[in-house]
Order: sequence, then C-alpha cells, then structure tokens
Amino acid sequence: MDLLQRFTHGEIDAFETLVRQFQGDIYAWTVRIVRDPSVAEDLTVETLWRVYRARHRFRPDGNFGGWARRIATNLAIDHLRRNRPGQSFLAEPRGVPQPDPVVQRETQERIQQAFRRLPAKLQVAATLALIEELPYDEIASALGTSAGAVKLRVFRAVRILRKRLSQAGIRPERKNMRTTT
Amino acid sequence: MTEHDDRQIRDALKQSIPPVHTELRRDLWPEVLRKLDARQVVVPWYDWALVGLSAVMFLVFPRLVLVFAYHL
Repeated sequence: MDLLQRFTHGEIDAFETLVRQFQGDIYAWTVRIVRDPSVAEDLTVETLWRVYRARHRFRPDGNFGGWARRIATNLAIDHLRRNRPGQSFLAEPRGVPQPDPVVQRETQERIQQAFRRLPAKLQVAATLALIEELPYDEIASALGTSAGAVKLRVFRAVRILRKRLSQAGIRPERKNMRTTT
Repeated sequence: MTEHDDRQIRDALKQSIPPVHTELRRDLWPEVLRKLDARQVVVPWYDWALVGLSAVMFLVFPRLVLVFAYHL
C-alpha cells in the first residue's frame, strides 16, 4: 500500500511522513497570504490537522500538495476575514508633497492598511498576483477557481485600491509615492 | 484601467508591503500531533460496554433509574 493510501486509512506514520514532506510548502504558501510568520505557523498546524480529519475525502491518486494548499488558502482567507483592520484611516488626506521619509513611511502604512481593508478574497488574489507575482494558474488552483476569475479579482482589487488611495490623496508612482491635496 | 495603472499599484504595494521569509523555521509535526491528541476523544471498549449494560439494566429494572439518580 502506498503512502497516500495508508494516509487515507488513518495510519499516523504515513501522515507524519506527509507532514514532514509538505509542511514547508504549506507554510510558505500561507505566510505569503497572511504576511505574519507566527500566524502562518498556527494556520499551517490547523491546515494539517484538518487535512488529517478530512483524509477520507482524499482520493489516493489525487494531488496531496494541491489539496492541502486549497485547505490552507481557505483557512488564510478566514483568518483575513476575522482580522479586518479597524476604522478607516483614510479620512484625513494629507497635503504634504515632499518625499519626506516620515511622510513616505506614513504613506506606506496607509497603503498597507488600504490593502488590508480589501475584501479577503480580493486581497488574497492581489497579494499572490501583484506582490508575490505568482502565475494566475497556480493562484486559481489554490483558490479552487479559474485563472479568469483570479484576473477579475485582481482587477477589482486594483480598482478599489486606486479609488481609496485617490480619496486619501495618495497618488502611487514608481519609486516615489506622493501625497497630494 | 491601463496596464500602466496596474504597474503603479503593483509598485506601490511592493514598496509598502515588505517581503516575507517563506522558510519554515521549525518542525511543526510535534504541534500537529499534540493537536490531534487533544481533539481525539478515544472512548475505550469497556466504557461502551458499561453504557450498554446500564441501558439494559434500566430497561429491565426501571426503578434503578431512581437509585442511579439518587447517587448522582
């Protein structure tokens, strides 16, 4: 009996082998989404626990890594939904045009917060596509959707971000983000 | 929305959101195992036998329910 079959039968040794083989991949994927190593570790443990619990639903001829990654993605999305940032920070646009390092940092923080306030599914698609620059097919597979749907989510995320940043007087430019009146 | 717009947003995000280290720093298996142990409630066979025996006794001698309730 091969490893995946033994896993579906609940053999803990087989599961341990799979954990050691895939934990790095699941963690790497999760940390890219949640951007926090300790949260990513917790979510990886939770993912692996859920993987074991759902072992009966796994087909031994299937792709274990892809299946685990989908579970991890769903958990990460749930985490982002539960941990939305608080009140809007964009109420008071600043009117300082100079690229002052302090202003620059504040602007970056505002962009971060605007990003975190995106709906979780859009945020995940945008994180993986725009920041991590992963292929749309890979993202689609992990999200259990099509590449076209991922592109649409990224498009919507960019549109929302642009609107919110514009409302806050932030004009994103390459190398130099400006804050305008 | 143009590709130029997308690139601007992408660059702004890349500048604002720091890269993450994707290497796992420790083995998570012990924690997974702890979680499995903690959440798996294993009821031994003799407990089930006791429950079954009690149920039979209550059916045969219904008044035993009162005695049992008194001792709870």
